[in-house]
Amino acid sequence: MATNPMHQFQVHRIGPEIKIAGIDLSFTNASLFMLLSAIAICGLLFLGTREKKIIPNKFQLISEMFYNFIAKMINDTAGSKAKPYFPFIFSLFMFVLFCNMLGMLPYSFTVTSHIIVTLLMAIFIFIAVTVIGFLKHGLGYLKLFVPSGVPIFLLPLITVIEIISYLSRPVSLSVRLFANMMAGHTMLKVFGGFVISLGMLGGWLPLGFSVALTGLEILVAFLQAYVFAILTCIYLNDALNLHH
Amino acid sequence: MTNLNNFKTRLKIAKDKLKSSSKNIDNSGNNSSMGSAFKLSTDLVAHVAVGTIIGFILDNWFDTKPWLIIIFFFLGSAAGILNVIKTAKKMQEKE
Repeated sequence: MATNPMHQFQVHRIGPEIKIAGIDLSFTNASLFMLLSAIAICGLLFLGTREKKIIPNKFQLISEMFYNFIAKMINDTAGSKAKPYFPFIFSLFMFVLFCNMLGMLPYSFTVTSHIIVTLLMAIFIFIAVTVIGFLKHGLGYLKLFVPSGVPIFLLPLITVIEIISYLSRPVSLSVRLFANMMAGHTMLKVFGGFVISLGMLGGWLPLGFSVALTGLEILVAFLQAYVFAILTCIYLNDALNLHH
Repeated sequence: MTNLNNFKTRLKIAKDKLKSSSKNIDNSGNNSSMGSAFKLSTDLVAHVAVGTIIGFILDNWFDTKPWLIIIFFFLGSAAGILNVIKTAKKMQEKE
Protein backbone atom coordinates (compact mmCIF):
# COMPACT_ATOMS: atom_id res chain seq x y z
CA MET A 1 0.00 0.00 0.00
CA ALA A 2 2.85 2.35 0.76
CA THR A 3 4.20 1.94 -2.78
CA ASN A 4 0.97 3.27 -4.25
CA PRO A 5 2.00 6.61 -5.78
CA MET A 6 -1.35 8.21 -4.98
CA HIS A 7 -1.22 7.19 -1.33
CA GLN A 8 0.66 10.38 -0.41
CA PHE A 9 -2.34 12.55 -1.37
CA GLN A 10 -4.74 10.96 1.09
CA VAL A 11 -6.25 13.31 3.63
CA HIS A 12 -6.66 11.76 7.06
CA ARG A 13 -7.90 13.04 10.35
CA ILE A 14 -5.55 13.98 13.17
CA GLY A 15 -7.10 13.97 16.61
CA PRO A 16 -10.81 13.87 17.43
CA GLU A 17 -13.63 14.22 14.93
CA ILE A 18 -15.24 17.66 15.02
CA LYS A 19 -18.65 18.06 13.44
CA ILE A 20 -20.48 21.38 13.41
CA ALA A 21 -23.94 21.49 11.83
CA GLY A 22 -23.26 18.38 9.80
CA ILE A 23 -20.03 19.72 8.30
CA ASP A 24 -16.85 17.80 9.03
CA LEU A 25 -14.41 20.35 10.47
CA SER A 26 -11.86 17.90 11.86
CA PHE A 27 -8.19 18.77 11.95
CA THR A 28 -6.50 16.87 9.10
CA ASN A 29 -2.97 16.54 7.79
CA ALA A 30 -3.89 19.14 5.14
CA SER A 31 -4.82 21.65 7.83
CA LEU A 32 -1.66 20.74 9.75
CA PHE A 33 0.55 21.60 6.78
CA MET A 34 -1.36 24.81 6.04
CA LEU A 35 -0.86 25.78 9.66
CA LEU A 36 2.83 24.82 9.51
CA SER A 37 3.45 26.95 6.43
CA ALA A 38 1.61 29.90 7.99
CA ILE A 39 3.75 29.51 11.13
CA ALA A 40 6.91 29.21 9.02
CA ILE A 41 6.07 32.40 7.11
CA CYS A 42 5.28 34.33 10.30
CA GLY A 43 8.46 33.01 11.94
CA LEU A 44 10.64 33.97 9.00
CA LEU A 45 9.21 37.46 8.72
CA PHE A 46 9.27 37.95 12.49
CA LEU A 47 12.93 36.94 12.69
CA GLY A 48 13.69 39.03 9.63
CA THR A 49 12.16 42.25 10.91
CA ARG A 50 13.05 41.95 14.61
CA GLU A 51 16.30 43.89 14.38
CA LYS A 52 16.77 46.25 11.49
CA LYS A 53 20.47 46.36 10.76
CA ILE A 54 22.29 48.11 7.94
CA ILE A 55 24.24 44.91 7.38
CA PRO A 56 21.40 42.37 7.49
CA ASN A 57 21.59 38.88 8.90
CA LYS A 58 20.34 35.94 6.86
CA PHE A 59 16.69 36.14 7.91
CA GLN A 60 16.51 39.86 7.27
CA LEU A 61 18.17 39.37 3.89
CA ILE A 62 15.65 36.70 2.85
CA SER A 63 12.65 38.73 4.03
CA GLU A 64 13.88 41.84 2.24
CA MET A 65 14.51 39.80 -0.88
CA PHE A 66 10.95 38.47 -0.89
CA TYR A 67 9.57 41.94 -0.23
CA ASN A 68 11.55 43.52 -3.06
CA PHE A 69 10.72 40.68 -5.42
CA ILE A 70 6.97 41.03 -4.93
CA ALA A 71 7.03 44.83 -4.84
CA LYS A 72 8.91 44.94 -8.15
CA MET A 73 6.61 42.35 -9.67
CA ILE A 74 3.47 44.31 -8.74
CA ASN A 75 4.96 47.55 -9.99
CA ASP A 76 6.06 46.02 -13.28
CA THR A 77 2.86 44.16 -14.13
CA ALA A 78 0.05 46.18 -12.59
CA GLY A 79 1.54 49.65 -12.19
CA SER A 80 1.58 51.93 -9.16
CA LYS A 81 -2.21 51.79 -8.76
CA ALA A 82 -1.91 48.22 -7.50
CA LYS A 83 0.26 49.19 -4.52
CA PRO A 84 -2.62 48.93 -2.00
CA TYR A 85 -2.99 45.25 -2.92
CA PHE A 86 0.60 44.45 -1.99
CA PRO A 87 -0.26 42.70 1.32
CA PHE A 88 -2.74 40.40 -0.39
CA ILE A 89 -0.41 39.36 -3.20
CA PHE A 90 2.54 39.03 -0.83
CA SER A 91 0.66 36.69 1.51
CA LEU A 92 -0.72 34.73 -1.45
CA PHE A 93 2.73 34.23 -2.93
CA MET A 94 4.31 33.31 0.40
CA PHE A 95 1.53 30.87 1.26
CA VAL A 96 1.68 29.04 -2.07
CA LEU A 97 5.48 29.03 -2.03
CA PHE A 98 5.72 27.65 1.50
CA CYS A 99 3.02 25.03 0.90
CA ASN A 100 4.90 23.87 -2.21
CA MET A 101 8.27 23.90 -0.50
CA LEU A 102 7.07 22.12 2.65
CA GLY A 103 5.60 19.49 0.35
CA MET A 104 9.12 18.81 -0.96
CA LEU A 105 10.23 17.49 2.45
CA PRO A 106 10.09 13.69 2.72
CA TYR A 107 7.00 12.29 4.52
CA SER A 108 5.24 15.64 4.27
CA PHE A 109 1.95 16.49 2.63
CA THR A 110 1.51 18.92 -0.27
CA VAL A 111 -1.53 21.07 0.33
CA THR A 112 -1.45 22.62 -3.14
CA SER A 113 -1.73 19.20 -4.81
CA HIS A 114 -5.44 19.22 -3.96
CA ILE A 115 -7.63 21.02 -6.44
CA ILE A 116 -10.10 22.16 -3.80
CA VAL A 117 -7.38 24.29 -2.15
CA THR A 118 -6.15 25.89 -5.37
CA LEU A 119 -9.66 26.30 -6.80
CA LEU A 120 -10.80 28.08 -3.65
CA MET A 121 -7.89 30.51 -3.87
CA ALA A 122 -8.48 31.04 -7.60
CA ILE A 123 -12.21 31.65 -7.18
CA PHE A 124 -11.52 34.10 -4.36
CA ILE A 125 -9.10 36.00 -6.62
CA PHE A 126 -11.59 35.89 -9.51
CA ILE A 127 -14.44 37.29 -7.41
CA ALA A 128 -12.20 39.90 -5.78
CA VAL A 129 -10.88 41.12 -9.14
CA THR A 130 -14.39 41.29 -10.60
CA VAL A 131 -15.66 43.27 -7.60
CA ILE A 132 -12.66 45.62 -7.77
CA GLY A 133 -13.24 46.13 -11.49
CA PHE A 134 -16.92 47.01 -11.03
CA LEU A 135 -16.12 49.29 -8.06
CA LYS A 136 -13.45 51.20 -9.99
CA HIS A 137 -15.21 51.49 -13.36
CA GLY A 138 -18.86 50.82 -12.65
CA LEU A 139 -20.67 49.27 -15.59
CA GLY A 140 -17.80 50.46 -17.80
CA TYR A 141 -15.95 47.35 -16.67
CA LEU A 142 -18.14 45.42 -19.11
CA LYS A 143 -16.15 47.11 -21.90
CA LEU A 144 -13.56 44.42 -21.15
CA PHE A 145 -15.79 42.04 -23.10
CA VAL A 146 -16.26 44.39 -26.07
CA PRO A 147 -12.88 45.06 -27.67
CA SER A 148 -12.65 48.16 -29.82
CA GLY A 149 -12.02 48.03 -33.56
CA VAL A 150 -14.11 44.95 -34.25
CA PRO A 151 -16.61 44.89 -37.16
CA ILE A 152 -20.19 45.08 -35.90
CA PHE A 153 -21.27 41.70 -37.34
CA LEU A 154 -18.41 39.94 -35.53
CA LEU A 155 -19.12 41.66 -32.22
CA PRO A 156 -21.54 39.07 -30.72
CA LEU A 157 -19.10 36.26 -31.50
CA ILE A 158 -16.12 38.11 -30.04
CA THR A 159 -18.10 39.04 -26.93
CA VAL A 160 -19.02 35.41 -26.27
CA ILE A 161 -15.38 34.40 -26.81
CA GLU A 162 -14.20 37.11 -24.42
CA ILE A 163 -16.69 35.98 -21.77
CA ILE A 164 -15.48 32.37 -22.09
CA SER A 165 -11.93 33.64 -21.85
CA TYR A 166 -12.77 35.62 -18.68
CA LEU A 167 -14.58 32.70 -17.05
CA SER A 168 -11.73 30.31 -17.74
CA ARG A 169 -9.33 32.36 -15.61
CA PRO A 170 -10.00 30.62 -12.28
CA VAL A 171 -10.00 27.22 -13.97
CA SER A 172 -6.62 27.65 -15.62
CA LEU A 173 -5.16 29.33 -12.52
CA SER A 174 -6.15 26.50 -10.21
CA VAL A 175 -5.59 23.57 -12.57
CA ARG A 176 -2.07 24.77 -13.40
CA LEU A 177 -0.89 24.78 -9.79
CA PHE A 178 -2.71 21.60 -8.81
CA ALA A 179 -1.68 19.58 -11.88
CA ASN A 180 1.95 20.57 -11.66
CA MET A 181 2.25 19.71 -7.98
CA MET A 182 0.35 16.45 -8.24
CA ALA A 183 2.13 15.23 -11.39
CA GLY A 184 5.53 16.07 -9.96
CA HIS A 185 4.96 14.31 -6.66
CA THR A 186 3.44 11.25 -8.33
CA MET A 187 6.43 11.03 -10.64
CA LEU A 188 8.85 11.26 -7.73
CA LYS A 189 7.02 8.48 -5.94
CA VAL A 190 6.93 6.26 -9.05
CA PHE A 191 10.67 6.58 -9.58
CA GLY A 192 11.24 5.99 -5.87
CA GLY A 193 9.21 2.77 -6.21
CA PHE A 194 11.40 1.68 -9.14
CA VAL A 195 14.50 2.04 -6.99
CA ILE A 196 13.09 -0.41 -4.45
CA SER A 197 11.72 -2.92 -6.96
CA LEU A 198 14.86 -3.04 -9.13
CA GLY A 199 17.11 -3.45 -6.12
CA MET A 200 20.89 -3.02 -5.90
CA LEU A 201 21.50 -4.04 -9.51
CA GLY A 202 19.18 -1.88 -11.58
CA GLY A 203 18.06 0.71 -9.05
CA TRP A 204 20.80 3.24 -9.71
CA LEU A 205 19.29 4.69 -12.87
CA PRO A 206 15.87 5.55 -11.33
CA LEU A 207 17.74 6.83 -8.27
CA GLY A 208 19.58 9.27 -10.51
CA PHE A 209 16.30 10.29 -12.11
CA SER A 210 14.81 10.80 -8.67
CA VAL A 211 17.64 13.15 -7.68
CA ALA A 212 17.29 15.13 -10.91
CA LEU A 213 13.49 15.26 -10.56
CA THR A 214 13.80 16.57 -7.00
CA GLY A 215 15.81 19.51 -8.32
CA LEU A 216 13.24 20.08 -11.07
CA GLU A 217 10.39 19.87 -8.57
CA ILE A 218 11.96 22.54 -6.37
CA LEU A 219 12.18 24.79 -9.44
CA VAL A 220 8.56 24.01 -10.33
CA ALA A 221 7.47 24.67 -6.73
CA PHE A 222 8.97 28.14 -6.88
CA LEU A 223 7.86 28.82 -10.44
CA GLN A 224 4.24 27.87 -9.80
CA ALA A 225 4.05 30.20 -6.82
CA TYR A 226 5.55 32.93 -9.01
CA VAL A 227 3.12 32.26 -11.87
CA PHE A 228 0.16 32.22 -9.45
CA ALA A 229 1.19 35.60 -8.03
CA ILE A 230 2.04 37.19 -11.38
CA LEU A 231 -1.25 36.12 -12.95
CA THR A 232 -3.10 37.64 -10.00
CA CYS A 233 -1.20 40.86 -10.76
CA ILE A 234 -2.13 40.67 -14.45
CA TYR A 235 -5.82 40.16 -13.61
CA LEU A 236 -5.61 43.04 -11.15
CA ASN A 237 -4.02 45.15 -13.89
CA ASP A 238 -7.00 44.44 -16.16
CA ALA A 239 -9.38 45.52 -13.41
CA LEU A 240 -7.47 48.66 -12.41
CA ASN A 241 -6.23 50.01 -15.73
CA LEU A 242 -9.04 49.29 -18.13
CA HIS A 243 -7.82 49.49 -21.70
CA HIS A 244 -8.12 47.20 -24.62
CA MET B 1 16.44 77.31 3.18
CA THR B 2 18.67 76.20 0.29
CA ASN B 3 18.82 72.84 1.97
CA LEU B 4 15.05 72.57 1.91
CA ASN B 5 14.86 73.61 -1.76
CA ASN B 6 17.53 71.11 -2.56
CA PHE B 7 15.46 68.44 -0.88
CA LYS B 8 12.33 69.49 -2.73
CA THR B 9 13.97 69.22 -6.14
CA ARG B 10 15.43 65.86 -5.21
CA LEU B 11 12.00 64.66 -4.10
CA LYS B 12 10.50 65.84 -7.38
CA ILE B 13 13.15 64.05 -9.42
CA ALA B 14 12.60 60.87 -7.43
CA LYS B 15 8.83 61.07 -7.88
CA ASP B 16 9.19 61.63 -11.63
CA LYS B 17 11.46 58.63 -11.84
CA LEU B 18 8.91 56.52 -10.01
CA LYS B 19 6.16 57.68 -12.35
CA SER B 20 8.10 56.93 -15.52
CA SER B 21 9.23 53.56 -14.26
CA SER B 22 5.72 52.50 -13.34
CA LYS B 23 4.35 53.54 -16.73
CA ASN B 24 6.03 51.02 -18.96
CA ILE B 25 4.15 47.89 -18.06
CA ASP B 26 6.16 44.81 -18.82
CA ASN B 27 6.90 41.65 -16.93
CA SER B 28 10.20 40.69 -18.50
CA GLY B 29 11.29 39.13 -15.26
CA ASN B 30 14.10 36.67 -14.75
CA ASN B 31 12.25 33.37 -15.23
CA SER B 32 9.01 34.52 -16.79
CA SER B 33 9.62 32.64 -20.06
CA MET B 34 9.09 29.24 -18.43
CA GLY B 35 6.22 30.75 -16.46
CA SER B 36 4.49 31.93 -19.62
CA ALA B 37 5.02 28.50 -21.17
CA PHE B 38 3.08 26.97 -18.26
CA LYS B 39 0.46 29.71 -18.62
CA LEU B 40 -0.05 29.18 -22.35
CA SER B 41 -0.39 25.41 -22.16
CA THR B 42 -2.96 25.38 -19.37
CA ASP B 43 -4.84 28.38 -20.77
CA LEU B 44 -5.45 26.58 -24.05
CA VAL B 45 -6.92 23.55 -22.27
CA ALA B 46 -8.91 25.58 -19.76
CA HIS B 47 -10.61 27.67 -22.46
CA VAL B 48 -11.83 24.58 -24.30
CA ALA B 49 -12.98 22.97 -21.04
CA VAL B 50 -14.84 26.05 -19.84
CA GLY B 51 -16.46 26.54 -23.25
CA THR B 52 -17.69 22.95 -23.24
CA ILE B 53 -18.99 23.22 -19.66
CA ILE B 54 -20.91 26.41 -20.51
CA GLY B 55 -22.40 24.62 -23.53
CA PHE B 56 -23.40 21.67 -21.36
CA ILE B 57 -25.11 23.91 -18.77
CA LEU B 58 -26.95 25.94 -21.43
CA ASP B 59 -28.05 22.71 -23.12
CA ASN B 60 -29.61 21.54 -19.88
CA TRP B 61 -31.34 24.91 -19.47
CA PHE B 62 -32.83 25.23 -22.92
CA ASP B 63 -33.26 21.51 -23.58
CA THR B 64 -31.43 21.63 -26.93
CA LYS B 65 -29.30 18.64 -26.09
CA PRO B 66 -26.42 18.22 -28.49
CA TRP B 67 -26.34 21.61 -30.26
CA LEU B 68 -25.10 24.19 -27.79
CA ILE B 69 -22.38 21.93 -26.44
CA ILE B 70 -21.02 21.55 -29.99
CA ILE B 71 -21.18 25.29 -30.69
CA PHE B 72 -19.58 26.21 -27.38
CA PHE B 73 -16.86 23.61 -27.79
CA PHE B 74 -15.76 25.36 -30.96
CA LEU B 75 -16.19 28.80 -29.39
CA GLY B 76 -14.00 27.65 -26.48
CA SER B 77 -11.35 26.39 -28.88
CA ALA B 78 -11.49 29.70 -30.74
CA ALA B 79 -11.14 31.57 -27.43
CA GLY B 80 -8.14 29.45 -26.45
CA ILE B 81 -6.35 29.96 -29.76
CA LEU B 82 -7.17 33.68 -29.78
CA ASN B 83 -5.75 33.95 -26.28
CA VAL B 84 -2.51 32.22 -27.29
CA ILE B 85 -2.17 34.54 -30.32
CA LYS B 86 -2.76 37.58 -28.11
CA THR B 87 -0.15 36.47 -25.58
CA ALA B 88 2.35 35.69 -28.32
CA LYS B 89 1.81 39.14 -29.84
CA LYS B 90 2.39 40.74 -26.45
CA MET B 91 5.58 38.73 -26.00
CA GLN B 92 6.82 39.79 -29.43
CA GLU B 93 6.14 43.45 -28.73
CA LYS B 94 8.34 43.27 -25.67
CA GLU B 95 11.37 42.05 -27.57
